Amino acid sequence: MIHWLQRILRRPGRAQEIHEEIQSHLEMRADLNAAEGMPPTQARLDARRRLGNSAHIEEDTRAVHRAWWTGALGQDIRYGLRSFRRAPVFTITAIVTVALGVGASTAVFSVVDRILFRPLPYPQADRLVSVGMLTAADTNEFLMGPAYLQFRDRQTPFSSMASFGFTSACDLTEANPERLQCTLVDSTFLPTFGIHPLAGRNFTASEDVPNAPRFALLTYGFWMSRFAGDREILGRSIPIDEKPTTIIGILPSDFELFNLSRVDLLMPEGLLPNQAGRAFARLKPGVSVEQAKEALQALFAEESQHLPPEYRPRMALVVRPLRDRQIANVRTASWVLLVAVVLVLLMSCANVANLLLARSASRRRELAVRHALGAGRARLIRQALTESLLLAVAGAAAGCSLAWALLRFFIAMAPNGITRLEQATLDARVLLFTVAVSAVSGILFGLAPALERPDAEALCGGRSIASFRGLLRHALIAAQIAASLVLLTGAGLLLGALWRMEQVPLGIDPDHAVTAHFVLRNTYNQARVLAFYEGLESRLNRMPATAVAIGSSIPPFGGTGGTPFSALSVEGRPRLPEGVGGGVSWRYITPGYFGALGIPILRGRTFNEQDRGPGAPAIVINQTLAQRLFPGRDPIGQRMFPSAKGEWHTVAGVVGDVRGRGLDQPPEPEYYVVRKHAPDEIFGDGSGVRSASVLVRSPLDPQAVAASIRANIAELDPALPVEIETMGERVRELTVGPRFNAMLLAGFAATGMVLAAIGIYGVIAFLVSQRTREVGVRMALGATPAGVIGLFLRHAARWTAAGLCLGLAGSIAATRLLSSMLFEARGRDWWSFVAAASMLSVVALLAAWLPARRAARIDPVRTLRE
Amino acid sequence: MVNSPKPADSLQGTLELLILKTLDLGANHGFGITLHIQEASEGLLRVEEGSLYPALHRLERNQLVTAVWKITANGRRARVYALTASGRKRLGEAEENWASLAKGVGKVLRFA
Repeated sequence: MIHWLQRILRRPGRAQEIHEEIQSHLEMRADLNAAEGMPPTQARLDARRRLGNSAHIEEDTRAVHRAWWTGALGQDIRYGLRSFRRAPVFTITAIVTVALGVGASTAVFSVVDRILFRPLPYPQADRLVSVGMLTAADTNEFLMGPAYLQFRDRQTPFSSMASFGFTSACDLTEANPERLQCTLVDSTFLPTFGIHPLAGRNFTASEDVPNAPRFALLTYGFWMSRFAGDREILGRSIPIDEKPTTIIGILPSDFELFNLSRVDLLMPEGLLPNQAGRAFARLKPGVSVEQAKEALQALFAEESQHLPPEYRPRMALVVRPLRDRQIANVRTASWVLLVAVVLVLLMSCANVANLLLARSASRRRELAVRHALGAGRARLIRQALTESLLLAVAGAAAGCSLAWALLRFFIAMAPNGITRLEQATLDARVLLFTVAVSAVSGILFGLAPALERPDAEALCGGRSIASFRGLLRHALIAAQIAASLVLLTGAGLLLGALWRMEQVPLGIDPDHAVTAHFVLRNTYNQARVLAFYEGLESRLNRMPATAVAIGSSIPPFGGTGGTPFSALSVEGRPRLPEGVGGGVSWRYITPGYFGALGIPILRGRTFNEQDRGPGAPAIVINQTLAQRLFPGRDPIGQRMFPSAKGEWHTVAGVVGDVRGRGLDQPPEPEYYVVRKHAPDEIFGDGSGVRSASVLVRSPLDPQAVAASIRANIAELDPALPVEIETMGERVRELTVGPRFNAMLLAGFAATGMVLAAIGIYGVIAFLVSQRTREVGVRMALGATPAGVIGLFLRHAARWTAAGLCLGLAGSIAATRLLSSMLFEARGRDWWSFVAAASMLSVVALLAAWLPARRAARIDPVRTLRE
Repeated sequence: MVNSPKPADSLQGTLELLILKTLDLGANHGFGITLHIQEASEGLLRVEEGSLYPALHRLERNQLVTAVWKITANGRRARVYALTASGRKRLGEAEENWASLAKGVGKVLRFA
């Protein structure tokens, strides 16, 4: 490549010709002088004096023939490449620095940009708001059916309002059945969001009523995968949960729900009273979110009269932009990443600046020589510019590749919950921006020395260091140390929080266990449900496994049945007033459940086969519930009833807590009821038991266990879709979010530290080379190598300390930003400051020690002679 | 800028005019042109030798002169320049310009 460039750009003939022409001029003048009687030497000298600086003249004459860019640029590039080859350490460091800055910041910004700044895929999405009531316990506002209808009919600030009634599993019950996600919305949903069907139509208000014939719109993905994009499907009827449903429309390919959940079918909600939903609205032109909220206050006050009185004071009206609602969870994390990116980018710029400043100082002599040899100042400036740009281009190219690789890496390892991540692509604007920032910093600091008038003094190797630039270099180093400390502290805090989180006992043993989850079809009647479970249990028990459990769900996650705490009655105790004490979860399990999950039995016993027959029912409660219901008493043998039906249950045992909702949540009160061999009134019509999970603990290969579970279920119902996961996978999902954040920030901190180390190394190495003579004199006068090293280390330590002080202030500010992401963060996190500061000091001193050691090896005799 | 056929400034223009006029008398090399200008002006004008060669090459590039290597009477190799047709045309224009400029300047100086 370089060879090819040289062949194109070099024109040896012309320069040689000009040189000869000037020489012939000099000779002819000398001939003339000699003819007039001058001695030969004087004749030649006079010829030279009359002509002036022949190098300048040759250069000026050559310049006549150059198109200004080819010749000069080619020469500048050649010269630049040559000088880079002579200083490989500088070159590689500079390129790596730019690449790290550009790569890391572009990749992360591409991710964050998607989340924070990109518009939602709806026309005028900034006019969309979420409307509803919010309790203290909930994070997302909701609106009950009647309230929604009142709001929709009487509101003034919105041009339209829409209701969204959740997404749930549904089955396509024809040959080759399929588990689908059906979302219920009202007829104004698509118009409010500004979505037009790709084909067909939206359902009308008259089709959106309870018990109406069923209609559905297909999403593009489902239409393609199931019906291969066949437009004839419009108007046809398909059985959904064995009810005929007419397809009336197809949604565009870019359709997505505001919560980005997967959806296959959009169906009329047919809003019933007592049905809670999410409500959205489009603001009328000129109406602000605050004005809309103000305008709704009266309606809200009226509607809250229908709420149970104890809820009223805790209920608030919420109107907020759709985007806020969508990104609430990842907002802090995104801002943290953004700050980290900016810090790394600034550090990389500071490094480039520092490297170029150091290099330029050592090149003052070279510049002066080139000037004396005929390079004009414009030429020298152009040369500096070319070299800076060359570095920027090389760094940017490396940075692009790095950014691309990092983005792949983020997508591969990010938790599923990160909004829109899989859509993230390298953003050209972002890339351009980061490249421009590094290029500008390179040009700025690369140009500075060339702009200075080259002085003749530099020719003699005089080492007058501009003290202002020295100060700037050190200030840059201190700033880098500060930024690096902020990153390190942040990463330390997040890692600490992650560590604490992973230390929290989950309450179950996740090893060697495979789970399967399924939902029986709605068409199963109570007898068939019972037959299914009885058959499944006996089949699973025949498997070669250590333990087997069937539960209405298996932690972590998984829906659990919920009962208000106030609904739990204890024999001989007055009932609590309604609505007090929050919720209690419960699970419907087989006796093997505790053994299979590794949940310890703390008191009493687990369920046995007698509990499953008719007769006095038993109940098992967890430790948290035991402490709340029976503080200071033995719960075993107490009688309580958890259900409205009112049959007394005897407490048979107390088991350990399970943190089913996440490690950063306190354990919930929970109780367990055993699965009976007969239809159980606890569920009323038995509908609640359709959804269940199976856990099989076995030392065998998980793949084989999974296949065996599938086969057993298929024998009972070949059309039943089953989701299989190992317990280990499910448990890891609990920490995947915090781990992702901590890993990212740790990556940034490491990058930052490397950059800071490079910076310090560069500056100290530069100082050493500048002060070689001084060190020689010191050593000649008796300074020891240790003393010389100390001289430079003290210098580095001073500026590192300055940076650390600055960084400490930044870290405290950063901790505030991070606090909401930190698990169990209490004041004791001072250690992460200390750890970060000491780590950084060690790295900084090490980076300074390497070049300082070179200074200690200086041979005083040689330097003094030079 | 190099491509533009117009003289960049009057100083350069003057040197160009002197070179063209000298070459109008016959082909010559750079040193010969220096000597001729000095002798013809009876020592009043001394060509800045440093600017002579860029000027010559500029004229060559604009195809007002051509250049070939020849051996001089003294046996030296020299690059000898000769006027082209467009060089001759340019000389005519330049002489006219100069004459009117000199006339104008003279009138202004005589006005008292």
